[in-house]
Amino acid sequence: MKYFDASSWIGRWPFAFCDAHTAKSLRVHLRRHGITAALVSPLDAVFAPEPGPANRDLLRQTRGMAGIVPVPVINPGLANWWEEVAICGADPRVRAVRLLPNYHGYRLGLRAVDELMDELAVRGWRLIVQMQLIDQRHEYHALNLKPVPADDLAALLRRHPGQKVLASGLLRPDLVKLALRFPRLLCDLSFAEWFDTMENLTAKVPVRQLAFASHTPLLITAAARAKLDLSTFSVAQKRAVAAGNLERWWGR
Amino acid sequence: MRIIDVHTHPILRDDRRGWSGAQELITRARAHGIRHLVVLGDVLAYGRSPTEEQIRKINDDTYRLMRAYPGEVTGFCHLNPTLGEKAVRQETERGVARGFRGLKLEIANNARDACMRPLMAAAREHGLVVLQHAWSMTKIRQRSFHTDPEDVATLARRFPDVRIIMAHLTGCGPRGVLAVKECPNVWVDTSGAAPEAGIVEYAVAQLGAERILYGSDAPIRDFGVAIARLTGSRLDAATKRKILHDNARSLLQLP
Repeated sequence: MKYFDASSWIGRWPFAFCDAHTAKSLRVHLRRHGITAALVSPLDAVFAPEPGPANRDLLRQTRGMAGIVPVPVINPGLANWWEEVAICGADPRVRAVRLLPNYHGYRLGLRAVDELMDELAVRGWRLIVQMQLIDQRHEYHALNLKPVPADDLAALLRRHPGQKVLASGLLRPDLVKLALRFPRLLCDLSFAEWFDTMENLTAKVPVRQLAFASHTPLLITAAARAKLDLSTFSVAQKRAVAAGNLERWWGR
Repeated sequence: MRIIDVHTHPILRDDRRGWSGAQELITRARAHGIRHLVVLGDVLAYGRSPTEEQIRKINDDTYRLMRAYPGEVTGFCHLNPTLGEKAVRQETERGVARGFRGLKLEIANNARDACMRPLMAAAREHGLVVLQHAWSMTKIRQRSFHTDPEDVATLARRFPDVRIIMAHLTGCGPRGVLAVKECPNVWVDTSGAAPEAGIVEYAVAQLGAERILYGSDAPIRDFGVAIARLTGSRLDAATKRKILHDNARSLLQLP
């Protein structure tokens, strides 16, 4: 079965003993777990003064690497966000951007986020909103970070109903709530859990709104596979979640 | 591989499936190769400080599961130490008579509080294992009733002859592992939060494989994900087997 990963990262996360991947080592790691395609963003953009250098490094490292799809990080709270979109847009592989509102100190209600959404619509790009990168209780003790409020994302989706948006890192209750209200929203599974995750979610949420995500290297890659592989889903359902839904969203 | 899960709550009001949900959970556990579950009760069903009657109801549910799944379920008796020595003694003895093998502490109080003394004395007297909820919670300032790993270490040093399982390795993190490193009567279960990479390997390096126990925290967590914290780690096969099965079998003296 083909796996298309909605969330994986290169670079170093300084607050845990997890791997620091280059694009090359990430591809080797993912392939070892049967994942042949992945949307990849740079962890170095999370705490950098601005994400430009990390995006440039992402685009350079992933060049010529089949299956590794670069997704730059944009910070609409900075004055140069439009310029950064333009620079990244010079690379034809870029068709989506990822936002990290809680790490970059802005809310999704910021006017520049709406302007960015308009720009994405013009370019035909997708938007990924990272709701959290790790459990808020495990953030570095000197940081006070909470996940992006689900209501903020809901308001953004209401303002831009035509935009293709993927919510990454939602907890199960928020995933169910948002997916039911916004049938076009795609949600990754990285942080959604119950003892029978897939069956529990799809009792309420259509399968077509769910996407596989390993969240490598912050989370254990095999655990993401297990969540789907060991479910009682039919082969068709597994294929849809493993790759089909994200491919459709991406337009492959 | 045969697996023993030391941290489950098959009946959970949040799940809204009641007894049938518990049956589904145990069926799912079997499908994952879990041959034995430690059932800790629906410990937050009535809030963080349940009454004597509420405690009895929680433990009655656990006992019902023990009877329905003999040889497959071990019960731990949930207690609220703030109810006082008499209540703790009575419920512990009721649990021992029913075959409970451990005591489960949640967030009624901090493990360093004086109200723990009668409970630990009862645990020592009956040879019961104490499973203490723990998380590195100081950042959100709830330590008056939440137990930090450092508090588990304090408890363990006060009662070195009582065996303690510190719950939630991922929640306790490297700081928690270091806090209990010098407490040989403390084991750590692998449950807690999302399956963060690197922490199990770190715990084994610091504590040794013998002091780590597989636990899922199901139904809050997915069995497949919880097991993959071990099977997807860099640990060797023998170490994985110890954590998934052998250590718990030895600690709980299971057949």
